Amino acid sequence: MSNNRIMVIGGGPAGLEAARGIVDLGYELVLVEQRDELGGTPISASYAALTPDMEDTETAMARMVDAVTNDSLADIRLGSTITAVEGTAPDLRITLVKGDSSEVVEVGAVVVATGFKHFDPGKETQRYGYYEYDDVITLVDAEKMLKAGKFIRPSTGEPPKQVCFIQCVGSRDRQLGNKWCSKVCCGIATKEAIEIRQLLPDCKVIVFYIDMRMYGFWEDQLYWKAQEEEKVAFIRGIVSEVTMRGDSVMVKGEDTTMGRPMEVLMDVVILSIGMEPSDGTIAMAEMFNLPLECHGWIETVGGALNTVQTPVDGVFVAGAAAGPADLEDSISMGGAAALKACAFVRRIQLPVVG
Amino acid sequence: MGDHRYQEYVEKDDAVIDGIDVSGAWNRMWVPREVTEYDFTFLDRVTDLSGGESMGWCYECAECIGVCPVDNVGSYGPRKLYRKLQIGLDLFDHPDLWLCTTCRNCLRVCPKEVDMMQIMPAVREQAILNGNVPGELQEMLQNVAEYGNPMGESARKRMRWLKKFDEPVRDLSKEPGEVDVLWYVSDYFSYHPRGIDAAKAMVRVFNRLGVDFGVLGRNERCDGDSQRLCGETGLFEELAEHNHALFEQNPHERLVVSDPHAYNAFKNEYPKLTGTEYNVQHYTQFLAEKTEQLAGMFTGEFPRKVTFHDPCYLGRHNGEYEAPRTLIEAVPGIDFVEMFRCKEQGYCCGGGGGGMWLDGLTADHTFERLSENRVREAVDVGAEVLAVCCPYEVSRFEDAVKSTDNDGKLEVLDIIEILDSCLGDD
Repeated sequence: MSNNRIMVIGGGPAGLEAARGIVDLGYELVLVEQRDELGGTPISASYAALTPDMEDTETAMARMVDAVTNDSLADIRLGSTITAVEGTAPDLRITLVKGDSSEVVEVGAVVVATGFKHFDPGKETQRYGYYEYDDVITLVDAEKMLKAGKFIRPSTGEPPKQVCFIQCVGSRDRQLGNKWCSKVCCGIATKEAIEIRQLLPDCKVIVFYIDMRMYGFWEDQLYWKAQEEEKVAFIRGIVSEVTMRGDSVMVKGEDTTMGRPMEVLMDVVILSIGMEPSDGTIAMAEMFNLPLECHGWIETVGGALNTVQTPVDGVFVAGAAAGPADLEDSISMGGAAALKACAFVRRIQLPVVG
Repeated sequence: MGDHRYQEYVEKDDAVIDGIDVSGAWNRMWVPREVTEYDFTFLDRVTDLSGGESMGWCYECAECIGVCPVDNVGSYGPRKLYRKLQIGLDLFDHPDLWLCTTCRNCLRVCPKEVDMMQIMPAVREQAILNGNVPGELQEMLQNVAEYGNPMGESARKRMRWLKKFDEPVRDLSKEPGEVDVLWYVSDYFSYHPRGIDAAKAMVRVFNRLGVDFGVLGRNERCDGDSQRLCGETGLFEELAEHNHALFEQNPHERLVVSDPHAYNAFKNEYPKLTGTEYNVQHYTQFLAEKTEQLAGMFTGEFPRKVTFHDPCYLGRHNGEYEAPRTLIEAVPGIDFVEMFRCKEQGYCCGGGGGGMWLDGLTADHTFERLSENRVREAVDVGAEVLAVCCPYEVSRFEDAVKSTDNDGKLEVLDIIEILDSCLGDD
């Protein structure tokens, strides 16, 4: 009976947790992932370690993947995309395409967990020179190096002596239309700063920020640890522009608490890029007729008190498809979406009383 | 355009090079506006010191600046110091090292527990080793090292204040034996004219109350707490060893001190070195326990409007706010008024942490003395008398009364002098 089957779209942290919840509750699962492996952005973007626990990403994500793939109720479709949706929940008929073959799957409810994409700093190329200067990189580029256990200045291959992070790139910006705080970049930049200092004790690491948003336990787990134990410098005032001076990149801005202009040479500049809705998130919103909220992410109906229910019956959302989310948000939403999706199909099956 | 300067500069008022007068603007050098480097050399050097670690913990919330007494009269405070260190300030050779009075107001409010009471002595100790000590402070430290007191007076003259004073005082250096109260007189009560007034008042009050007390006489030496905070750890240890031996040699029930700095030393610092806990009280605590007895003995009144200045080392450092107030309020006829900044929020007189001997340097970096700022506040609340109970304060505030043109409007008295004035003769 199709009603007992629930589809999760997206195999990242939120989708995997939703999937695990569904099979744990005894419902059939179809997990659709357009990439050829599970694990989502932490795996595809080669994160070295997860924030804030600093656990090795592959180990942590493998644990999540194993919890789903080893379950007999799980039907996992990698390299698959959704091309058509017919009917309404609990009688949804969804067309899955993999390579040349396509198949219609009938499900009772859906969890959309299609996540975010990293902001493309090329949009701001005139200011930070990401595509012009080798030594201007992003958090993601830095993760790749850190995962390989080394951190170098791209233009020379040598270890850098002075590295800075520029926070809020692509976030909190009316001109870009991205008015949101991406929530995780302060924590991730700080985590990477710690990793760089541990790898290169002679390298100065500076974080230029507007205000550090280290909510909850990140405050002492990451921020205080970076400052007090690893001697990472946090300097208030965002960089306005990056230019070349000889072979080095020069960051220019204001050191706001000194009230003075700041022009300092850097070996490596790391742009703390934020989140935007992924292409998959936008595509699924169209496919399922899900309205977007005013920032352009999938809308939920319950505000703070219901973070996973969309205005479309039987379709739920989890993780960064609904707005910037850290891992804890994504996992919590995954569990909540599984519960609500299972409850949705179960209520339909129950006899009407009275 | 007013006085706003877009660019800071340095210049010497008087400069002659090769016979050519280049005074003033002719030798002006502009300080670049741009921060061009973040040089953490000296910040790291500070945080690598034992005691200096927390300098690196500042996250610039700036709560400290709001309560730093020095920032009221200049531009200085822990957050500002941290920022200067981040752009390369050599604190080990810079006037900012000597502006902190260790009043503890910053630590009271600091969410990160950046502790200037640890940082300052640690960095100053290194500065002293490098020979970077302000001359006026160096002179004081030499005096303490050679003579056992900051004034450089001979130890033999430590009891000279008793001359022509016909109250009985047992000098344990001459008449050893057991006493109930070992009174640690302290340097300013022994040598400073206004301190001596208070010391004599203390003797009269003790005698009226029938206190069995003795003093260490010529053997007493400076408690060393302010010298410790100036970075003279070695000197402090010598003084602690010396005074500790005297306390051991002279059996007593309790140690009563005139000076909150001594109180802090004996209560919190000496035990770390000697492993001994001292049964120590500030004189206001000792007398507050006898308030009832005192009240029955008052013969006169003190019908004046009085305010009280909390000493940093009695209040914030040791949590005692009530004992001095209990005594003041017990005085017949007194009209007591608090200043706006009192108790935990009390303003600093500027004398702590070596400030007592740094007036010259401090004057170059502040527009008025802390004591002047405080005296204005006392006048603002309408006080006729500023009551104090720290030997550093009478002279500091009396000078400030004069320099703020409040001569005749505000009198500075130690609480013991007020009590004494109401006890009359036998």
